[in-house]
Amino acid sequence: MSRVASLLRASLAAIVLAAFAFALIGPLANLALWSVAERWYTPYKLPVTYGTRYWEQVFRPTGDAMASLGTSVWIAVLTVVVALALSVPAGYALARLKLPVRALFMIVFLLPQAFPSVAIYINVARIFYNLGINGTILGVVLVHAAHGLVYSVWIAAAAFAAVDKDLELAARNIGASPLRTFFTVTLPSAAPGVVASGIFVFLESLDEFTGTFFVGVPQVTTLPLLLYNAAMGGNYQVASITALILLVPSVLFMLFIERFLRADVLAKVGA
Amino acid sequence: MSLSQRQLALLLIAPGLILVAALFLYPLCFSLVSAFTGPEGGFSLQAFGNAFELYSSDILFTIVIVVTSCALTALAAVAIAGTLTLGENPWIVGTLRALYRWPLFIPFIVAAQCMRTFLAKNGLMNNSFVSLGLMEPLQAMSYLDWRGIIITFVWKQTPFVALLLAGALASLDRATLEAGRNLGASRLRILIELALPQVMPTLLVALVLSFVTMLSVLSVPMMVAGSQPTMLTVDMAFRINAYGDYATANALGVITYLISAGAAILYIRHGMAKESAP
Amino acid sequence: MRILNLAYSLAALLAASPLAAQTLNVASAGDQNMVDYVKDYLGPMFEKSHPGVKVVSVGTGPGDAGSQKIFEKLDAQKGAAATDFDVVVIHQKAAGTMVKQGLLAKYTDKVDTAKLVSSETAKNSLGADVSGYVIPMFQSQTALAYNADMLKNPPDNFAELKEWAKKNPKQFGYNGIKGGMSGVAFVAGWIYAFGGDAGKLIQGPYDPAEKAKWDAAFSELKDFNKNVVITPGNAGTLDMLNRGEIAMGPVWVDMFYSWQADGKLPPNMKLKLASPGMPGQPMYYAVPEKTAQRKLAEEFIALATSPQVQADGIVKKFNWYPGIDAKNLEGKLDKAAWDKLFTDITPADLSRNGKPFPIAPYFNDILEGYEKKVAN
Repeated sequence: MSRVASLLRASLAAIVLAAFAFALIGPLANLALWSVAERWYTPYKLPVTYGTRYWEQVFRPTGDAMASLGTSVWIAVLTVVVALALSVPAGYALARLKLPVRALFMIVFLLPQAFPSVAIYINVARIFYNLGINGTILGVVLVHAAHGLVYSVWIAAAAFAAVDKDLELAARNIGASPLRTFFTVTLPSAAPGVVASGIFVFLESLDEFTGTFFVGVPQVTTLPLLLYNAAMGGNYQVASITALILLVPSVLFMLFIERFLRADVLAKVGA
Repeated sequence: MSLSQRQLALLLIAPGLILVAALFLYPLCFSLVSAFTGPEGGFSLQAFGNAFELYSSDILFTIVIVVTSCALTALAAVAIAGTLTLGENPWIVGTLRALYRWPLFIPFIVAAQCMRTFLAKNGLMNNSFVSLGLMEPLQAMSYLDWRGIIITFVWKQTPFVALLLAGALASLDRATLEAGRNLGASRLRILIELALPQVMPTLLVALVLSFVTMLSVLSVPMMVAGSQPTMLTVDMAFRINAYGDYATANALGVITYLISAGAAILYIRHGMAKESAP
Repeated sequence: MRILNLAYSLAALLAASPLAAQTLNVASAGDQNMVDYVKDYLGPMFEKSHPGVKVVSVGTGPGDAGSQKIFEKLDAQKGAAATDFDVVVIHQKAAGTMVKQGLLAKYTDKVDTAKLVSSETAKNSLGADVSGYVIPMFQSQTALAYNADMLKNPPDNFAELKEWAKKNPKQFGYNGIKGGMSGVAFVAGWIYAFGGDAGKLIQGPYDPAEKAKWDAAFSELKDFNKNVVITPGNAGTLDMLNRGEIAMGPVWVDMFYSWQADGKLPPNMKLKLASPGMPGQPMYYAVPEKTAQRKLAEEFIALATSPQVQADGIVKKFNWYPGIDAKNLEGKLDKAAWDKLFTDITPADLSRNGKPFPIAPYFNDILEGYEKKVAN
């Protein structure tokens, strides 16, 4: 292969890569641009005036954004607590104990991912209305936890299955009770997986929009709902700033998971 | 009182099951019942008739969008995963690896907001193209319709599918791929004829998951495209919010179940074909 | 059992509602500007005059959908001791329904400012009798906004608009009937223009046979839609006008002026009230029957409809036409602020072409006809 041909190939690949980078980063850069645009109308290609007025507006103490951020984080924390409280025992049972019709239970936990969820949320909202918990934090947490349970049960089951059985047997041999073994040997070994699933559930809850749209409106306003209202109200600066706030946990999680997400683990998904 | 292992296991899994049953299975049955109940209370397909009368073009619209998005996602993901696995230039592979995962953890609503201003007629994309001299200002057009929805879905779902695919490809036995190379096959051919068939299950699982995800998204069609034609999710929300019409909304919901069931059936059929193949 | 204690306290936290000395919950349907009006302006004002009271403002979304949500909430809590909302700000159609279902309290006799309202809309809401149950918060009007630099001679009426759209494809935009009432107003205006007897649609009586007369109008609207852009909502239309993506579109006059003041619309945009007429609507202050804060709610509404607040808040700050009679604002508002409202649309235009929405049954027929014949 001549050098010219390979050079051409490399430059073609570089151009494609540049286009790819533009397609990927462009929309995000656009967000940053809008967050500092104070006045922007046609026919200007870039904002007429730049400024941080909208940042001040978003972050003012009495503002919606701070309250929504607080609500979002609080709901996410509660969701993680509920989801882990349910999925750790369930994952342990699925991984370690003799469960009848185990495959069926695994499928039941997978089902919510198999059905388009808008119809489900509509009816959950209806049911919650009748119970009087529509528009409450409790309602939203339940919806988020049910959604997150799907992931956390599967991850917990995988994490517990990966714990070395010999360690548990050794603990039992020297006289530890099953409960003690669980808390001192099994759980710490499975901890990284459980923590990862907890973080994942946290993130899913923070970013969750559709369920909250039906169950939480109008009293519960999470950050995604604020984003939606701002965007539909034409206030793109506030929407962009809110979007940037929402990005922070996602980016942090991505950097964190870089170190732990290994390709061969992912290959086993769905097989 | 000591519990047998069976009873303990059932006890431990019960709370989780109850939550899923209460917040998923029960509403699911609710939606089915509501969709098939007529105004007088008996079994009736009136809600479906109503849904078709009002939203038949939206049903078609939804199917076309989701199928096209999945197809494009598959193409892009295969290209990315293939380059990551078979690529030989370390710069290209490294840059790609650093770049492609970014949209993965960006929530749909943030992606929708990005695209809303990026794809507009005077949005950043068109403005950049005009500044680079790639097109005339008058040629600029708004992508804020079905194309915008497809672009957003592909943008968001490609990293997910590519990630799973890259993982599957990475765990393949390289010997077969090397053998192909030694025989002089191009890398593209190796990808399509040797590697891809082996990772088909992973690809199909990822695509089915993406399919269902796209049918569940409310924010993207509401924020990116105009209100008609639009995806069924927006129509369902409109039906509930404007009229409290649960029957028609649930009929539309059942239609989305059928659409995603169609996708799932294709996966199962392919899986069964694999089982029966020698 | 520390875990149990923790669980109990968590459960208590989850179920507890925020404890305040007294909380007044105001639920507003409509765009974000409605929510902000209470949150940033009325709420703090009321709290200052009523120490110990906290005003919570929630929005239920734009258009009739937002009012429908309020209706559903009140309806669901019909049997409860107290409802979640103490003051509601609703559209006309929902007001009629809520009065019929007995969900609203008859309160205007207790509020002095109710005497300042003489307009028909305070008694008649799209054909339903609501006197005693509501006080108008403001009067608003839709009009066609257009870019005066791009459009030297805007169309005067709907017929000219039809022609113009054919010659200038994709330069007109509206939001259909989802996502905001400006699009709904446009469709109603279209039926007024091409659907036969507009007077009958506005005054009644309701005749189910009337909707057959709209078939031609709907099929023309379907053709019209091929040449226009469908936007996501009220703000979507304004945004596209701002970005130069469309040259003309129906907007709420108050949103138009507010956006212009905020630098979200170019200064060269103007308004036109097309013949034979475009709808406007009041939004109503109402008090749910089952509220626990009846007296506070009435005082809040009294404040909101007082002449000074109507002058400073409604007209000056948010560019609405006042809900109480205009003569009560004399002396409270400087002439410049008042004239600003009538820059492009004179009071004469308003009285000629400003129309109400059709009565509720016709309104529903129009919306349904649109979904079946135009959108599908």
